[in-house]
Amino acid sequence: MSGLTQLIRKDLRHHRRHFILASIGIVVGIAAFAFFLALGSGVRSVVLGEIFPLDKLEVIPRSTDVDLGPLRVGMGKDTLNDEAAKKLGEIEHVTGVYPKMKLTVPSIAAGGKELFGNAMRTEMVADGIDPKLVAEDIDSKYAFAYFDDREATKACKTDADCGETMLYCGDPLPAHAMTADGATAGEDEPAAEVADAPKGKVCRHYVPVIASNHLVEIYNGTIRRAHSLPKLNPNFVLGLKFDLRVGASMVRASKRKKVITERGRLVGFSDRAISLGLTLPLGYVSRYNVLFDDPNAAKTFHSIIVDVDAKDNVAGVAKGVEDAGFDVADSGAEQAAMLIAVFMMVFGFVSIVIVGIAAINIMHVFFMLIYERQREIGIMRAVGASRANIRTIILGEAAVVGALAGVVGVGLSMLAAYGFDLVSAKYIPDFPYKPDTYFEFSPLLLATSVGFAIGFCVLGAVLPARRAAKLDPAVVLTGQ
Amino acid sequence: MIRLSGVHKTYRTGQTSLEVLKGVDLEIGDGEFVSIIGRSGSGKTTLLNIIGGLDSDYTGKVEVEGRKLSEMSDRDLSRYRNRHIGFVFQSFHLLGHMTCLENVILPSLFNGGDGGLSEKQAQDRGLELLAQMDLADKAHARPIHLSGGQKQRIAIARALLHKPELLICDEPTGNLDRDSGDAILKLFSQLNERDGITLIIVTHDDIIAEAAARVVRIVEGNVVEDRRSEPNKNVDTSTSQREESA
Repeated sequence: MSGLTQLIRKDLRHHRRHFILASIGIVVGIAAFAFFLALGSGVRSVVLGEIFPLDKLEVIPRSTDVDLGPLRVGMGKDTLNDEAAKKLGEIEHVTGVYPKMKLTVPSIAAGGKELFGNAMRTEMVADGIDPKLVAEDIDSKYAFAYFDDREATKACKTDADCGETMLYCGDPLPAHAMTADGATAGEDEPAAEVADAPKGKVCRHYVPVIASNHLVEIYNGTIRRAHSLPKLNPNFVLGLKFDLRVGASMVRASKRKKVITERGRLVGFSDRAISLGLTLPLGYVSRYNVLFDDPNAAKTFHSIIVDVDAKDNVAGVAKGVEDAGFDVADSGAEQAAMLIAVFMMVFGFVSIVIVGIAAINIMHVFFMLIYERQREIGIMRAVGASRANIRTIILGEAAVVGALAGVVGVGLSMLAAYGFDLVSAKYIPDFPYKPDTYFEFSPLLLATSVGFAIGFCVLGAVLPARRAAKLDPAVVLTGQ
Repeated sequence: MIRLSGVHKTYRTGQTSLEVLKGVDLEIGDGEFVSIIGRSGSGKTTLLNIIGGLDSDYTGKVEVEGRKLSEMSDRDLSRYRNRHIGFVFQSFHLLGHMTCLENVILPSLFNGGDGGLSEKQAQDRGLELLAQMDLADKAHARPIHLSGGQKQRIAIARALLHKPELLICDEPTGNLDRDSGDAILKLFSQLNERDGITLIIVTHDDIIAEAAARVVRIVEGNVVEDRRSEPNKNVDTSTSQREESA
């Protein structure tokens, strides 16, 4: 084989001009192929990795809503329980189930003066999730967990007295927040008095809160422009402290008689956090819902996040969820994935057509070369080359031409992608989820592109190689 | 031992056919020096191609050392050409993009790891042969820079690389001047006498044919004469009838 390799090397050098001309089509085709697939892959990872994470499904109770004029009336239960969580956990390819609970009490978040120049108040929408679900998204300086402060008694005067990042010096929880699980803090039901409740300030835990990257993108891309607010860098916002007033509302009719005031602290950003609102550890939301509404709220969830072992298995798990009697919340991910897949298929197909046409060009060039090299092939046959040797030489040359063309094509596509990113960074205004790069050149994509180039070149050379192998040495050498 | 019996060969072009060998019977023993002589179109080159395994489209039987060529696979036939035969052509048939040494060791590239010469052995053998041909200084030159005689000696060196038992030469002096032609014929005589190589030379020239100990004459596809005589070791090709260069 090393002898044939030497011959291939010499032939490539000798006929390099022909081969360079022949490979131009392959270079262009592979460049287009790699460019579009990398673009599709990059867009896919932004859309499905950040905007609509697709390795998780949100399971909700099966909808039995009925439209009555402008209203939609729910006819069945709209909550899930532990039994549902267990059932979902048994579906194949599900690696974890994480209950999610909506805060059903009106509440207000207020603060941010150090960030925005003025304190801001907003009606708060919040979800509670299992802290395990977002463990990897939490900054190591902070903690995202449920802290039960009902027995906090360490007296303090300033935050420094408390010592820890997640502790602050504040008023003890009010009496109406001290009721046992299952009791409510309604208007007509005074909270129980706690005999040994501290009178001064005590060290209390911040309520840890996370926000979604989507929220930051929406703020930076849209809200800040409308209100002339500064652009936020997520890294600098971490640790932000603000007030949480559970039971309060800017809508007069909604607010409750009693309010629990807590201090919240932003401890991380996660794609698993609620898109528009704040996300708290499940324990807090459960406690607030029990205190203000339903004693049974601690055991019921509004949705359950189902972790799937691989993106490819999402469809199968979704089917399993439906078979189990639940629905999958429509996040738009499937449509987005479908659109991207169609985009990639169309451009991938166009690129393959280009490479295919280039392969026909390769075939013509090889036919021409073989015609020119008849005598050379005859000599090789006379000195001992078998038909298989001749075929190997021609196909080997095609493979090398394909590999080189593939590498050049991939290089060109990476260069074009780099240029595209530069233009985007400089001339395209920021928009939500604007990525640093639109392209994802995975090792698999690079290998596939070069493999395609080799494959198509070899394919183009198959017929010429067969013809070369069939050349009659007696005819080409002696003219007989 | 090469044995041909009842060998027929017909060329067909569309509706027309031309029978160039009409039942040739011939035996050539090991170490013989044979000239096959005949006019252009008599079938002598076709006969040579068949013996050399370059042409397998014939009827009849061709045996080399007891093995029928027609029953050999392409791989075996290629190996036979590679290891047991050396070809020398009128037009030299050297590869212009390779150096002289690369041309000489070309057959070693098709060893297929089958007990042939290693790269180093081939290089050494190639240089040795070039030295024998007085062309050691041309090892790295391209054939285009050589004279006709030098090119033919490079072609002979290539044919001798694997120390073949049989050397097949088709009009080997046809493109050479007198001195070069004489030198080549002397070289053939030496190879035959010193190394015991079986030599078959095809020529249309009676004078050149006299260099061989046996002369086989072919006329219109039939062997009409097969005589043995004392070879003329001082053939003067200046008196021979030259054919136009191919």
